Amino acid sequence: MPAMTELPGAGVTRRHFLEKAALLGGSAMVMTALNAWGAGIASMTSAPPALRGSGAGHKLLILGAGVAGMTAAYEMSKLGYQVTILEARAFGGGRCQTARKGFKLTELGGEEQECKFDEGQYLNHGPWRIPFCHRSTLHYTKTFGIPLEVLVNENDASYARFDTVKGPLAGKRVRQFEVRADMRGYTSELVAKAATSGKLDTGLAKDDVELFVEYLRGEGYLENDLSYRGTEGRGYKVNPGAGIDDPGPGVPSTPYAFPDLVQSKLWRMVQSVGTFDQQHTMFQPVGGMDRIAKGFEKHVGHLIKYNAEVERIRQSDGGVTVDYLDTKTGKRSTISADYCLCTIPVSVLRTIDADFSDTYKQAMALLSYDPVCKIGLQMKRRFWEEDDAIYGGHVYTDAPGINLISLPSSGWQSAKGVLLGYYMFGADATDMSGNTPAERTAIALDVGQRIFPQYKENFETSFSASWHLIQYNLGGWGNWSAEARKVAYPVLNKPDRRIYLAGEHISYIGGWQAGAIESAWHQIAQIHQRVAA
Amino acid sequence: MRTALLAAALVTGTFLTTAPALAQDVAKGQDLFNHKCAACHQKTGLGVKGAFPALAGDPFVVGDPELVVRTVLQGRGGMPTFAALLSEDQLADIISYIRQAWGNSAPAVNAGFVVTVKTNAHPQDKAPTVTH
Repeated sequence: MPAMTELPGAGVTRRHFLEKAALLGGSAMVMTALNAWGAGIASMTSAPPALRGSGAGHKLLILGAGVAGMTAAYEMSKLGYQVTILEARAFGGGRCQTARKGFKLTELGGEEQECKFDEGQYLNHGPWRIPFCHRSTLHYTKTFGIPLEVLVNENDASYARFDTVKGPLAGKRVRQFEVRADMRGYTSELVAKAATSGKLDTGLAKDDVELFVEYLRGEGYLENDLSYRGTEGRGYKVNPGAGIDDPGPGVPSTPYAFPDLVQSKLWRMVQSVGTFDQQHTMFQPVGGMDRIAKGFEKHVGHLIKYNAEVERIRQSDGGVTVDYLDTKTGKRSTISADYCLCTIPVSVLRTIDADFSDTYKQAMALLSYDPVCKIGLQMKRRFWEEDDAIYGGHVYTDAPGINLISLPSSGWQSAKGVLLGYYMFGADATDMSGNTPAERTAIALDVGQRIFPQYKENFETSFSASWHLIQYNLGGWGNWSAEARKVAYPVLNKPDRRIYLAGEHISYIGGWQAGAIESAWHQIAQIHQRVAA
Repeated sequence: MRTALLAAALVTGTFLTTAPALAQDVAKGQDLFNHKCAACHQKTGLGVKGAFPALAGDPFVVGDPELVVRTVLQGRGGMPTFAALLSEDQLADIISYIRQAWGNSAPAVNAGFVVTVKTNAHPQDKAPTVTH
């Protein structure tokens, strides 16, 4: 361990060091991979608005049968509104999709992919996680009886490997628990020793310093002399078992050296708790995320006109008129309604001929959309479980833009599995999406092979999606800059005459299904209030 | 070199906004464009109707170079920011390429100009991506 003299020198107070130490995990935000932990956004609304009275005699036209559109249809048809949904795709759900055997996708400018996963295997190429705090999403999974299972969103036993760093740990595969234990151990040791030697201004009374040190002793697995020398939590060289010495008590592991760990930047993975929406317990629907879409469709499917591509939107004093194309028959139709809830992503909506006010159009222009890419790789053997004892969770890599490899939280101990080979954003995603599906697969396999030597020999088939290249989405989700959130978001929360917007983008829970649901709840309450007035 | 250019820009406050493009710049720009940009704008520069704008024959692309550079740096609509992914040299090569490819005819831009625009750009025009 470094001596205290190696702590930050002149001009930096000991307290400042303590604050720095406490913020170690905060650097996680540097990596997009760990932006999962970056900003706490959580849904706190747990039930649809309690709307009284009746909507009978009023026509509501909903554009888009995604989670927002179907939420509104479900709640408003219960109130007696005459609801119609226009959906451009042949199925409901919007971005809530699951790729399984036979699922087809042709990205704009790309070749057709047909998913060739085995029966029972799937990839949630859209939303894939339901946090415990998203009570609105959980309201509907419960209402529709959609079975959930836990998605392992953190797995201490899983691997990490950083190649673009300095020191002996560069390019070395480590278990995450080794890094977590060692970083917290060494940090606790430094702080505990400083606090007990009077070199740290803790601002605590003498008795309280003792309590604080007691905390550090537990937090960092410190010995009696306040040194960190490892802990069983970071794993063994040989696991304990039966017998006297083979393996008997096992062989403990040795901590990495502090300077090596600091140089490795592996501490980017370490944070006391995840942000609110990435913590335990994380769920997924059994069998695929589109179980949620199917749950809604079971109740509102009869209200949906499928293959109906919106071409023109017009408003008059009395209502909203929408022209749409039946992409199957080529037939054009017009539909009118008293009110319209438009859940079409703004990335798509701004390309449609619509007579929104200039203010509304300017506000829409300020919302950008994030390019997002995923790939699913079917492996013929669950080597991560069988050979490495890793059950679900994420493998972290600093391979450019890849962010993470995620192991499936379903089908434990079965023969095969589909893992998420990358989850990419921004310019990295546009970069990846310029490749053919075969080229994307080759890149993903190269990255995975660095972590698991069993990767390539077990690979069978892949399916990849680039949301910015997917018609009717043109992006993963809306991305509000601070400025746009201030000037444009409030405009789009209000109606343009008789048209209201909803979707994840009209919320502070962007990119999540909860945002779609709660924006729908918010807007139907506004519509109903107006009708009732 | 970049630092020197930046220093020069800061000292003199002036810049040649454009310079004659060297052949190798445009060739490099084409290669970069095909990898980094063609997923949306297509190698043909024709974009995808209703989704991604055509760059071929686009008055914006051959217009004010500052606006073009700013757009690539900051992103716009569904387009991400490329400020962190590509160097000023690479950005200059790409932008020079699109201003001169597919029948477009506009002066190239140099790395120094990109540096100047970057210095004046608002870094927070796009929020960081948060995973879901």
